[in-house]
Amino acid sequence: MSAGEKRVSRGLDTPFEERLFQRVLLLVPLAGLALFFLYPLSIVVWRSFQQGDGTTGLGNYREILGLDHLWRVVSNSLVMSGLTAVICVGLGLVIAYALSRTRIPLRWLVTLALILPLLAPSLVQALGLIFMFGRNGLLTSLLGVQVQIYGLPGLVIANSLYALPQAVMILAVALRHADRRQYDAALVLGASPWRRFVDITLPGLRFGLLSAGFVCFTVTITDFGNAAVIGGNYRVLASEIYAQVVGQMNFNMGAVVGILLLIPTLLAFYLEKVAGLRGGSSEGAIPVEPDRWAPRDIPLWILTHLTALFVIAIVAVVIFASFVQLWPYRMSLTLKNYNITTQGGYDPLWTSLYASLITAVFGTAMLFALVLAQRKMPGWSARLVYLLAIVPVGVPGLVLGLSYVLSFNVRPVFPGILYGSALLIAFCNFYHYHSQGFLTMVTGIRNVPQPLEETVTTIGGGLWANLRDAVIPIMVPTLISVFFFLFMRGMVTLSAVIFLITPKLSVGAVSVMRLDQAGSSTQAAAFAVLIMITVLAAMGLMRLLLIWQSRRSRARAAG
Amino acid sequence: MTLDIRGLSKFYGTYQALKDIDLSVGENEFVCLLGPSGCGKTTLLRAIAGLESFEGGQMMLGGRDLATIGARDRGFGIVFQSYSLFPHMTVAQNIGYGLKLRRKSPTQISARVAEMLALVRLEDFADRLPWQLSGGQQQRVAIARALAAEPALLLLDEPLSALDARVRAGLRSEIRQMQKRLGIPTIMVTHDQEEALTMADKVVCMSAGRIEQIGSPSEIYTRPATRFVADFVGSSTLLSPARARAFGAAPPADAPAGSQGDDRLFALRPEDVLIRPDASAPGLVRSITFLGNVSRIEVDWQGEIILAETHRLPEFAEGATVSLSLQPGAGAWVRA
Repeated sequence: MSAGEKRVSRGLDTPFEERLFQRVLLLVPLAGLALFFLYPLSIVVWRSFQQGDGTTGLGNYREILGLDHLWRVVSNSLVMSGLTAVICVGLGLVIAYALSRTRIPLRWLVTLALILPLLAPSLVQALGLIFMFGRNGLLTSLLGVQVQIYGLPGLVIANSLYALPQAVMILAVALRHADRRQYDAALVLGASPWRRFVDITLPGLRFGLLSAGFVCFTVTITDFGNAAVIGGNYRVLASEIYAQVVGQMNFNMGAVVGILLLIPTLLAFYLEKVAGLRGGSSEGAIPVEPDRWAPRDIPLWILTHLTALFVIAIVAVVIFASFVQLWPYRMSLTLKNYNITTQGGYDPLWTSLYASLITAVFGTAMLFALVLAQRKMPGWSARLVYLLAIVPVGVPGLVLGLSYVLSFNVRPVFPGILYGSALLIAFCNFYHYHSQGFLTMVTGIRNVPQPLEETVTTIGGGLWANLRDAVIPIMVPTLISVFFFLFMRGMVTLSAVIFLITPKLSVGAVSVMRLDQAGSSTQAAAFAVLIMITVLAAMGLMRLLLIWQSRRSRARAAG
Repeated sequence: MTLDIRGLSKFYGTYQALKDIDLSVGENEFVCLLGPSGCGKTTLLRAIAGLESFEGGQMMLGGRDLATIGARDRGFGIVFQSYSLFPHMTVAQNIGYGLKLRRKSPTQISARVAEMLALVRLEDFADRLPWQLSGGQQQRVAIARALAAEPALLLLDEPLSALDARVRAGLRSEIRQMQKRLGIPTIMVTHDQEEALTMADKVVCMSAGRIEQIGSPSEIYTRPATRFVADFVGSSTLLSPARARAFGAAPPADAPAGSQGDDRLFALRPEDVLIRPDASAPGLVRSITFLGNVSRIEVDWQGEIILAETHRLPEFAEGATVSLSLQPGAGAWVRA
């Protein structure tokens, strides 16, 4: 065969219907990404160049960058998120190390503290801090000391509590990848525990530390809930964008701040990807067993448990406050806070539930279709789809929400008809968390052994037989996890949907904020408790389903 | 039905993974594709299965052109190294899977499943799930599953490599006997020369995407055609033509007149080298390695290392001087 001759691949015969089905699997999720992610985002970019007099240009940027207070807002945001990232990485390392390398007692206490922030909207931490340290706070009146909790200190503490579990998770994974043989080798060579930590543990954690730092930085610089509740006069980018859009109806200026908000997140996202590429895990490593060493363990345990207790106390005080008659004057207990009639009463909770279910069902189906299509694609196009699928993680919820207002709050019937519907909130939440769901799906589908599918094909099964007998049985736990992940995120997220609510349609997380801003902080607490209960129930249901699923496959043998 | 492959080529981009493969597999024949990892043997098996495409050449099965038939319609059976049983199906369900896809009636399926269970001696395990079986048992289920739908060709991709040595030896003869009894043409990929030599009717020795030699196990071992085969299958000492003549080897029969076979090397099996202690001889014993039934001896013969074997413990030590001679008919000329 001569080099110039065009080579035709033969011998792989895929029936037309199967190729068509593969196309559909790819095109439907991509169309979703295009309409509900790329299109709104491009509108933000376009609107940021639309000047007040209807011309196109850099006017908005010039105006915004010329504002004196903007630079203060930017530096405020950087300081706040930087401090949060440092605290989270430090405490995260302590907790992750205590959990995976020491035999820490009362482990469940720490686990509980790490789960709690996932159950509630981010502003619950701020709410709890105010109940604890605010002007009428529990500790303030108990100790008689007035702490200035509003502003930077409160914001940093609240955001640290919110981001800490993510830092711990990343660092615990990094610690798990270590190889015991390295430690054994160092021990035999005579290295002290401290030397082993500095020479083996820390280098192994380099990328984990970097990654944890970036994640904490990113999730807090764009978080709206805590900034709204406890930020006080300390203005950050997230509150600035809200003030521009909701306060002054200045959509174009909001778009500019949105673009500014993209810069640090995309940068962090990019750096984290680079770090992730280099931090490859070693296959076949022997896990390091936890051991005992009092001089190390006791300070670690004290710090870990104090942090855990603090997290739990903050949430506990919110639960307590939700039962208090009239904080702080009449501390007798009552259920009347749960009788919420203002701010739409319980309707927003039902809307949240409904929208989150749509997010979960629609999202799981879309992501499953996307990974099914993506893994059968040739190298470069698979990478392109992968990149497109994980880009949403770099877009803050606030910016995504703003982009939805700009794209869907419009006159034409389509896409304008979606505005003000729970469906649009559901879509917004799904594309906000698209990346995390996609990555979980990719990990899950990698567990489907290729020979198993090839066996089905060789025996004579088509695409359907492959899905039914090889892919889905192995993907069930992943599908369950992604479904509940999307549901739980949908229940608690605030920053993306804050722009999508209308006088007629609101969601639970917004109600908490509104009730708090209206002065009924105990009712806000009650509402937050209800959201936590819903999410906790969902989480319990997921655990049960996963256990039931793994039992069922084993029980078949006995029956 | 016979499988006929002519001039098959396979490319990954500009890299050519299979180069001009010619191979035929007759009815009842057990063919082993043998070679080191990366030699293209698995790619060839997958192309035959229809799991990989090919760009050049022809692949015919009993007169049908396989290039136009997809993997699911070829009607082959395949067994992988990783067992690859359906984790959520019982042994019986796994074996009956192909028949179910072919919409056979439940009675037909259960009859055939029972037959297959008897064939692989797992009658008592019909209702177990894969994770309740040992590796060897799982692989027997995989074989039964591949055979249940009466495949036109059985493809085995390193089926024994994941098993431990004893199980592997047992399953080796079991597979061979099953194949003989059922008369199904079979292609097995392996990197284990012992496996290939003991099981195959025909060994296809491959290297770098090319077939080096096709022959019966004894041909491959005693008459390697190329330096690669001589090296990869068993061990050989490769001597230059001049050195071979010094040992009294006849020049290659097919050498052109006048030439002494200078483009060839003389491959010598260690068991064909006779070794005798001799204080005046030029051989110097470099090392003696005890292997159990034989001892392998490295002899420094005028600057060249020659391998020899003795079946008894040698009556000399390292450093002794020895003389070497060849068994009659020993050695083979190979292409360098």
